Amino acid sequence: MNNVENTKKFTPEKIISDLLPQQFGRRGVIWTGILLAICCIGAFAYIQQLRKGLVVTNMGDYVSWGIYISNFVFFVAISLVGSLITAIFRLADVPWRTPLTRISEIIAVSAITFAALIIIVDMGRPERMLFLFTHGRLQSPIMWDVIVISTYFCTSLLLLYITLLPDIKIMIGAKEKMSTTPFYKLYKWLGNFWKGTERQEKIRDKSITILCITIIPVAFCIHTVTSWLFATTYRPGWDSTNFGAYFVSGAFLVGAGGVVVAMYVFRKVYKLEHYITERHFDKMGKILVLLALLYLYFNVNEYLVPAFKMKKDEEAHLVGLFTGEFAPLFWFAIIVGMIIPIIILVFKKGRKPNAMFVAGVMVVVGAWFKRYLIVTPTLLHPFLPKYDAPAKYSHYFPSWQEWAITAGSLAGVLLIITFFARVFPIISIYKTITDHESELPS
Amino acid sequence: MKVNYHHKLIILLFFLAGTTAAKIQAQDSAAATTILSLRYFLPENKVPYIEVNTKKKTGRIFEPVKGVAVNVYFNETSERNLLGKITTASNGIGKVGIPASFKAAWDSATEVKFLAVSDSSKEQESLNSDVTIKKAILILDTALVDGVRNVTAQLKEKKGSEWIAVKEIEMKVGVKRLGGNLTVGDADTYTSDSTGLVSAAYMRDSLAGDEKGNLILVAKVEDNDAYGNLVVEKSVLWGKPTQADTHFWHRTLWSTGNRAPVWLIFIAFAIIAGVWSTIIYLVRQIIKIKKIGKEYERTATAIK
Repeated sequence: MNNVENTKKFTPEKIISDLLPQQFGRRGVIWTGILLAICCIGAFAYIQQLRKGLVVTNMGDYVSWGIYISNFVFFVAISLVGSLITAIFRLADVPWRTPLTRISEIIAVSAITFAALIIIVDMGRPERMLFLFTHGRLQSPIMWDVIVISTYFCTSLLLLYITLLPDIKIMIGAKEKMSTTPFYKLYKWLGNFWKGTERQEKIRDKSITILCITIIPVAFCIHTVTSWLFATTYRPGWDSTNFGAYFVSGAFLVGAGGVVVAMYVFRKVYKLEHYITERHFDKMGKILVLLALLYLYFNVNEYLVPAFKMKKDEEAHLVGLFTGEFAPLFWFAIIVGMIIPIIILVFKKGRKPNAMFVAGVMVVVGAWFKRYLIVTPTLLHPFLPKYDAPAKYSHYFPSWQEWAITAGSLAGVLLIITFFARVFPIISIYKTITDHESELPS
Repeated sequence: MKVNYHHKLIILLFFLAGTTAAKIQAQDSAAATTILSLRYFLPENKVPYIEVNTKKKTGRIFEPVKGVAVNVYFNETSERNLLGKITTASNGIGKVGIPASFKAAWDSATEVKFLAVSDSSKEQESLNSDVTIKKAILILDTALVDGVRNVTAQLKEKKGSEWIAVKEIEMKVGVKRLGGNLTVGDADTYTSDSTGLVSAAYMRDSLAGDEKGNLILVAKVEDNDAYGNLVVEKSVLWGKPTQADTHFWHRTLWSTGNRAPVWLIFIAFAIIAGVWSTIIYLVRQIIKIKKIGKEYERTATAIK
């Protein structure tokens, strides 16, 4: 089932006119203004950090990876959705994927961009990034992460660009229909050469298939390697052989949650009810509940097994999560991030757009806190006893600069998606038309 | 009345506790001035140096005072007797050696006075301190007595042009190890006898030495009021030869970047080459699409 049912009376002209990028309304301008303001505050905080050093953060000898790395893991996780929706759905020939692919692709590109940037922020001295290439150790998972992030960024960008080519041609052709055409030169530069010839189509189709096959292992690698940044060190909570699968399942969940939220917002704002239908929410709801159950299963493994053994060295960490300092956050991430969305989504009524939006937001917010819980509590409970350390080293709460930079990076991701939706169609016009034509009786 | 008696006792206890706390507080605050001290060191009977130490009592602990500029003088505080000007580091310590220009004065002296005077500032008045040292050398040797290895040490003081062994001097005799010195016998310290000699039986036969079995014996006189700090070392072939079992130069996961395991380099570069050649291929495909588009445009223009 695809969206042809809802658009079968639509002419290609109607589809083009519905899906062409639209000018920002008043709400769009306010939204963009807020995001820009948050980004500016984040940039100001980062300038302070550059001038004074990492001393402006509340990271120290024990919590040397704080909110920045939590945020990095979150971005890497959410970026995985590009491979799920575009690549896996395409290779599995899922017929209803068309309205979701570009949303997931732009989420992937924007999230992976800021994942890379936040790592540079965490380094304190950005110019030292160069040392990773001049003095890098191939044995270090950090080096693998740098390689795989840049590779995933390039493949995601290529996937986004190649699938966009026919739409660029449509936008060049529909110059008059668009309310304003400030991006006309950009369209011409990006895709004026696309003529839609048979040879071009053939190369494009083949390229997309190759990309889809390539991007799946790269996507699995990116999050597996990120999990190895933790799992290859000997620390409570990280010393696990299961971490790769645990991270990848969590990444698919948050990515799918992010797509559901974005679907809902774009549907509302751009009035795309005929293209992103309740059927799409229902299908995505089923996927989301499956992924939430899978991630819950991994969580049970990650926490219940160590809790059953309750090794002395890991006790402080586990008790801190279950009943101690981090218990409210931990149970929030489990209950709000997984259990409640599962309960909502197992019912058909829960898979309606409004309920799905709430469940999607819960998944995304819960996932962000889950990453914080993976990083920070472990660092506060090292195996070696803390000796002669100031009391403040036993706690961590990010400084305002850390919050501002983190908020700025989150706003940055949303800003890229917002600007992308302003410049390019958020649903593939070309694919919608071809789906429509191929499904209609001749 | 019994209740009144208890009240009085409690008040008395509070009063006592209060006055004690106030007294401790007063002592703490009274002692919050910077203290300057000097120590003399003679390593290996060669060039001596003076260590300046500045500290301040904060609460009930001493904390180092850094950044104090101190002039150190030889015998008297005059410009020509200035050994050097030093500024104390973050640990409150600064060191100055005796320059070559003082060799003649140093060689002819049997007793030397070192003086330290700090600069005055708004926060800190000028501080001064001195230490008088009798010139001495420490001699470390070994002897075989009845088949037992002995370590001997002697402190000799300069009297006129003679070096005379000093009696009743406490010193340490040990073997240098990685984390400090290990005593050669059971005793921690030894005192020189009527001939000025310390003799310690070497009881560490199973110690591991370097590749040839070399061990380093150490004799020390520490913080002696008259002679300061002297230390001397001697290498002896008394240890067990050891062959260091090191993997430092092997290709391992924990070695330096240029010593990565071959299998890792092969796998990593094979994956990187595989994925990036695909990316390059796809970029070439885009270029191909572009060429086809331009060809199409040229053909379309020609037909028109």
